[in-house]
This record gives sequence, C-alpha cells and structure tokens, in this order.
Amino acid sequence: MDTPVITTTALTKRYGSHPALTDATLDLPAGRIVGLVGPNGAGKSTLLALAAGLIRPTSGTIEVLGNRPAADAAQLARVGFVAQDTPVYTQLTVADHLTLGEKLNPRWDRRTAADRIRQIGLDPAKKAGRLSGGQKAQLALTLAAAKRPDLLIFDEPVAALDPLARRAFLQSLMEFVADLDVAVVLSSHLIADVERVCDHLVILAESRVQVAGDIDDLTADHYRVVGPRGTLDTLPAGVEPIAADHTPRQSTLIVHNTTGRPLDLPGAETIGLEDMVLTYLHRAEGLGTPILQETRS
Amino acid sequence: MIWLTWRQFRTPAIAAATALALIGGFLLWLGADLRSFYDAAVTGCTTECTDAAYRTLLTNEYGTKILLAGLLVMAAPGFVGALWGAPLIAREIETGTHRLAWTQSVTRRRWLTAKTAVVGGAALVFTAALAGLLTWAAAPYDDLVDDRFTALVFSARNLAPLGYAVLAFAIGLTAGLLARRTLVAVTATMIAFLAVQLAAATLLRPHYQEPVTEDMTLAEAEAAGDIDSFNVGEDGATLQGLRLPGAWVVSDYMDVTDASGDPITSDTIADCDPGGPPGECMSQFGAHFDVTYHPADRYWTFQWIELAGALALAAVLLALAYWRLPRGVN
Repeated sequence: MDTPVITTTALTKRYGSHPALTDATLDLPAGRIVGLVGPNGAGKSTLLALAAGLIRPTSGTIEVLGNRPAADAAQLARVGFVAQDTPVYTQLTVADHLTLGEKLNPRWDRRTAADRIRQIGLDPAKKAGRLSGGQKAQLALTLAAAKRPDLLIFDEPVAALDPLARRAFLQSLMEFVADLDVAVVLSSHLIADVERVCDHLVILAESRVQVAGDIDDLTADHYRVVGPRGTLDTLPAGVEPIAADHTPRQSTLIVHNTTGRPLDLPGAETIGLEDMVLTYLHRAEGLGTPILQETRS
Repeated sequence: MIWLTWRQFRTPAIAAATALALIGGFLLWLGADLRSFYDAAVTGCTTECTDAAYRTLLTNEYGTKILLAGLLVMAAPGFVGALWGAPLIAREIETGTHRLAWTQSVTRRRWLTAKTAVVGGAALVFTAALAGLLTWAAAPYDDLVDDRFTALVFSARNLAPLGYAVLAFAIGLTAGLLARRTLVAVTATMIAFLAVQLAAATLLRPHYQEPVTEDMTLAEAEAAGDIDSFNVGEDGATLQGLRLPGAWVVSDYMDVTDASGDPITSDTIADCDPGGPPGECMSQFGAHFDVTYHPADRYWTFQWIELAGALALAAVLLALAYWRLPRGVN
C-alpha cells in the first residue's frame, strides 16, 4: 500500500458557474484514516463523489489507488463508498441487501457480513425502509465493508444520527479498520468526530483546500503568537500567518510553521485542533480571528 | 446484476402479468366470439350475401370493441415506457440509491445493460403479446374491412407495435436520465411518445414511399371501392373519402372533371334523370379524377419501415444514455 490512496491535481468541479470544488491538489497517504472537515457546502461531498467515480471533474485529474475512479469493475471493487444519508433500497429486506452485495461484488465476504448483521441485531427479514437511521447506516457500512475494498469512503456518515447511534457507528467503523487493513477517507462537519477517529486531516472551505496533513503535525505546527503591536509585522520565512487580530497595544497571530523546525518566536504556543480548524474556516469566509479562548481544547 | 434487476422489477412484473392475463383473456374471447359470429353470418350466409353487407354487420357488432382494443395496444407501449422506463434511473437518483448501486463492483454500463435487457425485454414481450393477440383476434374482421393502413389499425397490428414498445422504453429511460425526477420523466415520456406516434402517422408514414397518382373514372372507382360523398356545385364537382380495398388513399378531396377535362357543374348535370343513379349520369360525361394512394401491396413494406424507424430512434436514445451515464448524473 505504497501508492497514495487519493491523488488530485488542480481538481475542479463546477455546476454551471457555481464552483463546488476549486483547484484541489492533494496527496492522501496510504494506511491512514483521513478526515475531511469543513462546513456544509464546502466541497466535501463533491470531492468524495469524484473519488468514488460518481461524477467526473470539470478539469484537473484525480487518481484513486493509482487508477481513474470507477474506471472498470476491478477499480470499483477496490473502493467501498458509503454515501451521505446512507441510502438503501426501502423495498428490499436486510437479507436482500446482503444478496445484492454478494451478487455484485467478487470479493464479497459473506461471513463478515453475516456476523456484522447478527452483532448489530438487524432482523434479516425486515425491509430496509423500516430501519432506524442508525440501523440504515450500519447496514450501509456492512455492505461497503463486506465488499472487502482497499479504500473505504464515508460521506458524512454520522451527520443524521443521534449521539448514541453516532458513537456506535464510529465504533463499528474503527473495528472494521482494525480488522480489515483498509484505508479510510471520511468527511464530517463535526470536528470532534474527526479528532476521535482520524489521523490525517484535510480542511475544506469555500470549495478550496485550506490545509492538509497528519493531525499530529498540524497541531504541532500551528501556533498562537502574542506580542506588542508592531513586533510581529515580519515573520521568519516559512511561517505563514493564518489570522491576525490587532488591538492598539498588541497583536495576536495564528501562524502555520512550515519550516519543519521548531518555531522560534517569543510568546508562541501551539493551539488545539478545533481552534486550528476554526481559524481556517474563518479565513476562508473572509472573517477575522475567531474567539479562540472559548473553544480551546 | 440480473438478480438485483429482477428483485427490483418483481412487483411491476407481477402487476403487468396480471394486466396481461386480463386483457389477453378479453382478446382471446373477442377472437373466438368474432370467429363464431363470422361463421354464422358469413360462411353460413343465406340472404344478402355481399361483402358490403358483411362489412356492415361486423362493423356494427365488433367495430367499437376492436377499435378500443387497438387504442389499448397503441397506448400500452407508452404506459410501459413511462412506468418502467422512466423510473429506472430517475427513481434511483431521486432516492439517492444510485450512490449505492453504482459503487458496487459493476460498471454503470453493465448496470444499464442488465436493466435494459430485463426491463426493456419485458416491455417488448408485454406489448408483443398484446399486439399478437389483437392481430390474431381481429384477423377475420381486418380481412373483411380491408383498411389496414388506417392509423388506429396500422399502429396496433403486426410489427409496428414492437418498434413502439422498444422506442417508448428508450424514451422513458433517457427522459429519466436527463430529468432525474420520476414524475417529470413519466410525464415527459407519455407526451413524447404520443407526439412520436402522431408524427409517425401524419407526417412520416405517408412519405415512406412515393404515392402513386392514377387517373380514375368515377365508374371505375365505384366498381373498385366506396365513395363517401360526391358533391356537384356551380363551380364544379368534388369527390371526398374514396376508399380502395387494402390501399391507402392519400387524397382527401378530388376534383372531378368530364372527359375533356372541363369541370362538371350543376348546369352540366341538369339534363340527367333526377331519379336515376348518379354514377350513370356521370358516366355519360366520362367523369374522372386524379387519385393519389399507396397500393395495398405496400402494407408489409410500410410495417417494416415503421419498425426499423422506431428501432433506429430507440438505438439513438439508448446510445445517448450509454454515453451519458458513465459521465455522472449530478
């Protein structure tokens, strides 16, 4: 698993004149759980639909596991996709869905599927239309996982679930990842979920990629710097300001240290993941520094 | 993929089989009843044994039933195309299940092929069964009335309905793919299919071959076929609604002139015996007219052209769907 799971170059998708994803260049590494965060409409679903091959880019390129998405049956077999709101066929039973998975996927793992359904207590004879949201999500997860893909993509898998179902779903997801040796890309607008599950992060806002990297690196490289007004006007090379807030006496900066060396600035301290994400989202919307004290983790 | 297609199509298939059993049963009864009536009235005829009398008899007894059955056979492909073809893609998109279906290890082309084969095949079988039964049931009637080019007969017998079955399914499928909403696609399919049938019958079919124009005397016309009405006015005479057995008369109104090509007016015929048959009077002047028509032996050629045209249009629509679907629908 050395090839990156998803590689994009200047990937752009427009619907008419409305940009859904603009100029995204990404390298999502193998062997990680990648989280895609951003507000609704940031382009998360578009990026994932492009990766699943459900839509094609307006311009730019995307490769998933080294191939064009949905290029052929073999490529489709390598990617499992759980769509937003976890659609299932309401008129088909749970057992029908498992048969569907078995008939349409050469690598289908019947045992895993049956075990999972038993474990989560789904009645195989029940129509999928009568399942609860959490059960539907679990069924969709089972379908995608028993397909035995190399990459599992989840688009806002827990957005519509209540807190209990959300916790159960994420628990199942992590169990699968541990059992199946599979790369995962999931999107969420809930930073807490991403922080719990993921180890690599892509922040999307206003159809653009704001920043991407391993969560540990990102949190280690983002600092809040406070200093007297005027002392922070010039920053060392490789240190990029993300947000700035000035009072008459002092300046507060959120900076991204891309030098690869420890940041050598007085009054600099690292910020938490949630603060960092919020800073990027505020910048994307053209707002100033968010009030970080209240959200610090 | 066949399994999933069949599993999703099971309920409509059962409904269609039920409808087919009911309508098919009616057509079988109609065919049997028509034959026993025909045997009694025509084969066993004792008085007034002329074709014209048989025609009147059968038309009175069965005309409406056969006409309605014909309308049903004409409409069946439209309903099937709208109710089966249109939701095929549109409903998946509407419920979001296309994101489930198209991310299994089956390419969208193969998905579409399975759907087209099973559902399109069923649509064809459904219409073919109805059209075949009606063609059989109405055969003695059609032979006697011998008016097979009439739109309501031509489109509901033999090969033409098969082409329409495939075409209506293709219209529905493509409309569903483009509209992405079931209700819109269903409505669009019905309207489009009706438009295609009207266009075929009125704009295209008369031109499948160059019609024959023939100079015919009134006496010949009366001997060969029927004339609806014949009017003589101050400016000239016209003939309307000429029927030639088995042929398709394209001309509606025909100007009737005398042997030297001059118009026949009310003055011209003033000398005729007012009580005598009009044909006799006209024959004195050598009344004749030009009639444009398709001869009876073109029937099968026209049926094949109609079938081929519908299949070709369906192929274009399906090709569009095959091209469009892998490119994504959002």
